Amino acid sequence: MDIVFSQVAWLAPLFPLTAFAVLTAMGRGLGKAGAIVATAASLLSFVLALLIAAERLGDSAEDYTGRIEWLRAGGVVLHAGYEVTNLTALMLVIVTLVALLVNVYSLSYMKDDERISVFFAYVALFTASMLGLVLADNLLTLYVCWELVGVCSFLLIGFWFRKPEARAAAKKAFVVTRIGDLGLLIAILLLYWNMPNHALDYTSLYNVFHSQSEALSDSLTTLIALLIFLGAVGKSGQFPLHVWLPDAMEGPTPISALIHAATMVAAGVYLVARTFDVFEASPNALTVVALVGAFTAIFAAAIGLAQNDIKRVLAYSTVSQLGYMMLALGSGAAAAAMFHLFTHAFFKALLFLAAGSVIHAVHTQDIREMGGLGRRMKLTAWTFGIGALALSGVPPLSGFWSKDAVLAAALEKSPWLFAVAVVTALFTALYMARLFFLVFTGSSRGEAVVYVHAKESPAAMTVPLVILAVLTVAAGFVWTPWNEWLPGWLAGSGAGEEEAGAGGWNGVVVAASVAASLLGLLLGWLVYGRKGAAVSAAAAKAPGLVRILERKFYIDELYDIAFVRPLAVLGRALHVFDEVVVDGAVRLVGRSVQAAGKLNTRLLSGQLQTYGLAALAGAVILIVAIAGRRFW
Amino acid sequence: MQTVVQTLTWHDTWYLAPEIVLAAFTIVLAILDLALPKRIGRNIIGWGALLGLIAAGVFVGWHIHDLSTWEEAGKEPFRNLLDGSYRVDDFGNLLKLVFLGATALIVLASLGTTRTDEIPIKGEFYYLVLPAVLGAMVMASSGDLITLFIGMELLGITSYVLVAARKSAGISGEAAFKYVVTGGTASAFVLYGMSFLYGMTGSTRLSGIGDAIGNAVAESPAMVYVAFFLLIVGFALKLALAPFHAWAPDVYQGAPTPVTSFLGVVAKGAAFAMLYRIFVNTALYAYADNTQLRDDLYLALKVLAAAAMLVGVAGALRQQNAKRLLALSGVANAGILLIPLALDVTNFHASLFSEFIYYLLAYVLMNAGAFAVVAVVARGAKSEELSGFAGLYHRAPWTAAAMTVLVCSLAGLPVTGGFFGKLFILFGTVQTKEYWLAAVLLASTVISYYVYFSFIRQMYLRGGESELPVTVPVPTGLVIWICAAATVAMGFLPKPILEWVDGLFSLTTDFFSR
Repeated sequence: MDIVFSQVAWLAPLFPLTAFAVLTAMGRGLGKAGAIVATAASLLSFVLALLIAAERLGDSAEDYTGRIEWLRAGGVVLHAGYEVTNLTALMLVIVTLVALLVNVYSLSYMKDDERISVFFAYVALFTASMLGLVLADNLLTLYVCWELVGVCSFLLIGFWFRKPEARAAAKKAFVVTRIGDLGLLIAILLLYWNMPNHALDYTSLYNVFHSQSEALSDSLTTLIALLIFLGAVGKSGQFPLHVWLPDAMEGPTPISALIHAATMVAAGVYLVARTFDVFEASPNALTVVALVGAFTAIFAAAIGLAQNDIKRVLAYSTVSQLGYMMLALGSGAAAAAMFHLFTHAFFKALLFLAAGSVIHAVHTQDIREMGGLGRRMKLTAWTFGIGALALSGVPPLSGFWSKDAVLAAALEKSPWLFAVAVVTALFTALYMARLFFLVFTGSSRGEAVVYVHAKESPAAMTVPLVILAVLTVAAGFVWTPWNEWLPGWLAGSGAGEEEAGAGGWNGVVVAASVAASLLGLLLGWLVYGRKGAAVSAAAAKAPGLVRILERKFYIDELYDIAFVRPLAVLGRALHVFDEVVVDGAVRLVGRSVQAAGKLNTRLLSGQLQTYGLAALAGAVILIVAIAGRRFW
Repeated sequence: MQTVVQTLTWHDTWYLAPEIVLAAFTIVLAILDLALPKRIGRNIIGWGALLGLIAAGVFVGWHIHDLSTWEEAGKEPFRNLLDGSYRVDDFGNLLKLVFLGATALIVLASLGTTRTDEIPIKGEFYYLVLPAVLGAMVMASSGDLITLFIGMELLGITSYVLVAARKSAGISGEAAFKYVVTGGTASAFVLYGMSFLYGMTGSTRLSGIGDAIGNAVAESPAMVYVAFFLLIVGFALKLALAPFHAWAPDVYQGAPTPVTSFLGVVAKGAAFAMLYRIFVNTALYAYADNTQLRDDLYLALKVLAAAAMLVGVAGALRQQNAKRLLALSGVANAGILLIPLALDVTNFHASLFSEFIYYLLAYVLMNAGAFAVVAVVARGAKSEELSGFAGLYHRAPWTAAAMTVLVCSLAGLPVTGGFFGKLFILFGTVQTKEYWLAAVLLASTVISYYVYFSFIRQMYLRGGESELPVTVPVPTGLVIWICAAATVAMGFLPKPILEWVDGLFSLTTDFFSR
């Protein structure tokens, strides 16, 4: 099959990058036009991604790799390149589609912000970096893009930098993800030292780790896999580095949809999937991935039950769903993980954008002050409802299919993991039901004025919602019991005949999953949906538990005591050391040079006799010190 | 011992052509100055002097060419005159070219800036430069202590007169007097050391001293020590190395700016030439049984170099007068220039001369250029204080840009000749494992940034208090731009110059007066 478009895949990141360059160069003068430029660029990228995916739909599309020599230092050559496989093609479509929709949505959502062109420039840079990350054919190029998306995330979380919370959240996100990035960097360095020919490209990784060659010892492989996973933990908000993601909701809502729900946070999952050869070579590492994923899933879902900020609920839901993906990866089912990533990207972006629509209407994020909005914002309510059902795993929406794939993989790995995943599904349905009923049904609890003025958002915001809702319904059908197309396609030409993970369909899994979600939804309706149900009904019955959940298991407080404060003390101590010892030394040097200069000036008094005396003294000292020591 | 002195033959005059040309021009210009009526401006003498310098330079170039053809033909590329008391070799010729070129630049620059009301003896001022250069050339070419001393005195005495040329300014007379006393002291030290050396070895010829020094050390080491240390102190005074530098700021400040430039470049270069001649020819052979004496002498040179670098920049920190600042910067630069010689030549460090000449060349350019700028600025601001540079960027942006290049070269920032000059010398110190000296060089360079940036601060960051426009006379502007352009060129193309010097120069034939 001809692969024309894959050869020019490098254009995909180039479009938004150009938009970024144009917007940055033209500055704010561009205003609204800049937003159009950025949106057009993302449209071009999306079209290209579609074309690439379309030409790869056949059975035997070749992977295409293009690379250039990037740096040559001595005998070391570093390459920069891109590789188009079915996996990257899928990711390209996801990223460009969500980016495009978020761009369109932001045209309306951000239209009153005076820094709108800056916003679109950042989004364009993010899109370019994310596409670069997806396309990279080696870990080094990936790492560069990985850091770039981190920077964009930082810039966008702190976009409203006049809000102190936004500043703090941006800083927190940056610092916390750096911990993971450091792990990834060390992993890359270890690979660089130990791989034959210092190769860092995925093909070489595949060759080395798949052929059971003895190039790297088992313990080293496990170490590298765990360090890569640490990077993924940071980016994908897995426990214990999840703390930044909920705070990141201080950013504009379209950003939460694009970066902190659909794309960047999925980069960790993508990274593990991309380097899955390394993980497969180390069963211990896989188990760690599965355990961390499962724990994160249930832990974040439990926190999500008691949050009152609409975006925070969704954020914890994201953390939880990313845990699902990690669980699938750890169970050896990379295809199931990618499937869930794929569907999750759509329904979570949908939920965030719908939440944004709500926030846009009522100017608050606290669900206790909402209620009854469904009557005033029908389209938003309907699309949000579809997203919520998909997230809860109600058939036949996409979330159901992908969650089942994950659950099936977990059952294969261990019944305990499966049990945890099922309970998580129950929690998920429960908090989504709570969210939906509190926001859209019942009567308004907020100020009457706001409620009266709340109205449906403009078309630029609702059209993306509708598109995403359609995709949320439809996306699941690429992998159903009667159509196992996706896993086979994802395995693609690279893996050939090999089984793509995730065994057949299991009646127990389907039954447990459906039962859990329906039970969750029912509980949610009973507590929050019925007429007259108190908002804080749960809090009244089990105040202690709710309190713990509201405080997010006190993780932030724990970190504050365990790391932040000691580090702050250490920092202050180092600062004092710096002030007194280092600066003191510098000042001493400066002063002594100045003093020497002063002494010199005193010597240069203009008195020739003094000069002669100094010369004579110098001569005597020189002779005595150097020649004299030979004769004593 | 030599009893019959080889006489100067008619044939030999060809090899003395540059010196003879200079002498002839001096006499002709002196007569012209006397004969010409007062109403004719004395600038014509200046142009004549410039012509003489160029003519002498052409002959030196011719000699360099001759010597290299000899080398290709298998003949030894040097010529001994008067039984080796005068040598024409690549070492001398290269230095002569530098002296002549530097003097030509200085004369050209002064043609634009010298005012008759300041220097009433303009005619003498110009033609006296020629015997001064002649003295420097004799120093560069000597193979005998006596010729060396004669060259030194010729240079010295004419310089005393030149320093005093600003007859109306009291400060000029004071400077000249201080220079006479200091120069006399230096000569006394040098002469005393030479007499000890002669007494110990029975020869004034450098080759003869080299042959006999081994025995002398064995017989009476203390005497040899005294001889060499007296020489070192004398030269340190001449070179204004710390702590023998105290006279330099006063003299540099008092002298007319072109003369200051001449003192800083040519007089220093000549003293270095002499130091090289004596040390390489004698001290190197001074080890009879052990290398103690030689090590001690080189250690003394290193200590002096380090002291000069540090004291020079530290002293310059607080200077408010541009010329005093450049004088102290000259002290530091003399220290840097001393380093290649002070490094042990036997320790695989054969590139000492190319390091030295490269930095000397860079130093000549940046110094001549900087003094030319100082002269121009001082003419406008009526003061030689640093504050005269205030806001120069707004008043004369091009001159400020050229000065920036020159100052960057002085500070040793890339991409300039000064940067590579320092870099090569630094390589030398590291190569011979003299890490402490390298550290001192780096430290003094760092401090010197502060010093040199006081120019930049004034030029760019201070508003011009005096709104006087700066007029740059054409010849001076030409010099400023030649210096700035050559400085940048040396920064971009260090290799060709270094390789050319390396190719011309070989330690065995050009230094050792065998």
